[in-house]
Amino acid sequence: MDPTPGNRDGTRRFDPRNLERPDPSLLKYYGLVSLMSGPMFPFVFIPLYCKFVTLRYRIEDEGIAMSYGVLFRREVYLTYQRIQDIHLTRNFVQRWMGLATLAIQTASGSAMPEMSIEGIQEADQLRDFLYAKMRGVRGDSALGEDAASRVGVQVDAEQRALQLLAEIRDALRQCAAAKEQN
Amino acid sequence: MEPARERTTAWLYKGLWAALVKWFRVPATPPELPHGPAEHVERLQLSRGWLDYVKFKFWVALFVVDVLLIAAWFCLIWFVPWLGILITPLALAVIVVPDVLAYIAIHLRYDSTWYVLSDRAMRLRRGIWFLRETTISYDNIQNVRVLQGPLERHFGISNVIVETAGGGGGTGKEAAMMSMHMGLLEGVSDAQGVRDRILERVQQCRGAGLGERRDRMREPVQATLASPAAVLLLEEIAEAAQKLRQQI
Repeated sequence: MDPTPGNRDGTRRFDPRNLERPDPSLLKYYGLVSLMSGPMFPFVFIPLYCKFVTLRYRIEDEGIAMSYGVLFRREVYLTYQRIQDIHLTRNFVQRWMGLATLAIQTASGSAMPEMSIEGIQEADQLRDFLYAKMRGVRGDSALGEDAASRVGVQVDAEQRALQLLAEIRDALRQCAAAKEQN
Repeated sequence: MEPARERTTAWLYKGLWAALVKWFRVPATPPELPHGPAEHVERLQLSRGWLDYVKFKFWVALFVVDVLLIAAWFCLIWFVPWLGILITPLALAVIVVPDVLAYIAIHLRYDSTWYVLSDRAMRLRRGIWFLRETTISYDNIQNVRVLQGPLERHFGISNVIVETAGGGGGTGKEAAMMSMHMGLLEGVSDAQGVRDRILERVQQCRGAGLGERRDRMREPVQATLASPAAVLLLEEIAEAAQKLRQQI
């Protein structure tokens, strides 16, 4: 996998588990986005700045959490097993800065993504990390073996039942034979 | 003359791509999907039929719009000659430039759209300015639809839409392009084959696509005593028991 643009030192291995804060370039991106709104700049930039300052990610064994907000705080927690769609979007400004938006979807009814991870320079690696953990990817290799072992268990149980029946039959026959002799 | 012109166009187009790749960081290679060594990975692009279909729509729209624009311009020349002649460069620009841009955009879209299908998941990429890559695993797919309009049928292409659980958006092609719960494989020439391949892999996943764990899905195994061997043994047991009772 080639290093993502903007990944300055290619030698450093990206470990998603250490991910906590977004990259500082996200603030620059937010600044550019706010500039596009012209005279509304402060009204757009201040909430985005607050979001950037308070944005925290937490990557755990079973799920991923994201929280931000100064006055109104929100925290989203998703379990990897429930992830069903991963959308990676990049507009050309984000590509220039090496950023991306990683939108994660579960099976909820909302049309908006449940979690939008922004400000990650190694978005491709993070996506592959999530892809490896999302449902339908991890357990599938065991599917064939699973089916086979199930059939195996069934055959075993059948054999055991027949064996027990044979033992009962033999015991009864011995009883009858013993009775006859008496 | 024909080949020379084609070569020049191809050369210019390649230059445009190189500029996009260099300055706008448009990825030059198809998307990668992590996969196992034995896994079969299929890479699809928009079919030739899609190109013909979109170009046909382009020429029709171009004809209608340009006829209207030229008519308006001629009217202006007829009634206010000095103004009509003065805006000649502007009028020509308005008539020609959008057509050229739209024509280039069609080809860029044709070359930048990728559908990568592995044995476990699919990754769909589209877009130049706003690049979007969707990853959906087969385990999560709820249904697969194939849409085809009359014009698309004429050009031999269809749209395959893959849906996962969750709401939002409509059911059409445009909704699928924007929805977060759908994947759109647009302009596929072998839609039946693609659909069958997707469905085959979906059917191999036995979950309901809602995050069941495999170990929890395993049901307790019960042995039935309906096999011929079991019935024979049971008959023998009954016979032995009968005999024993008679003796008592």
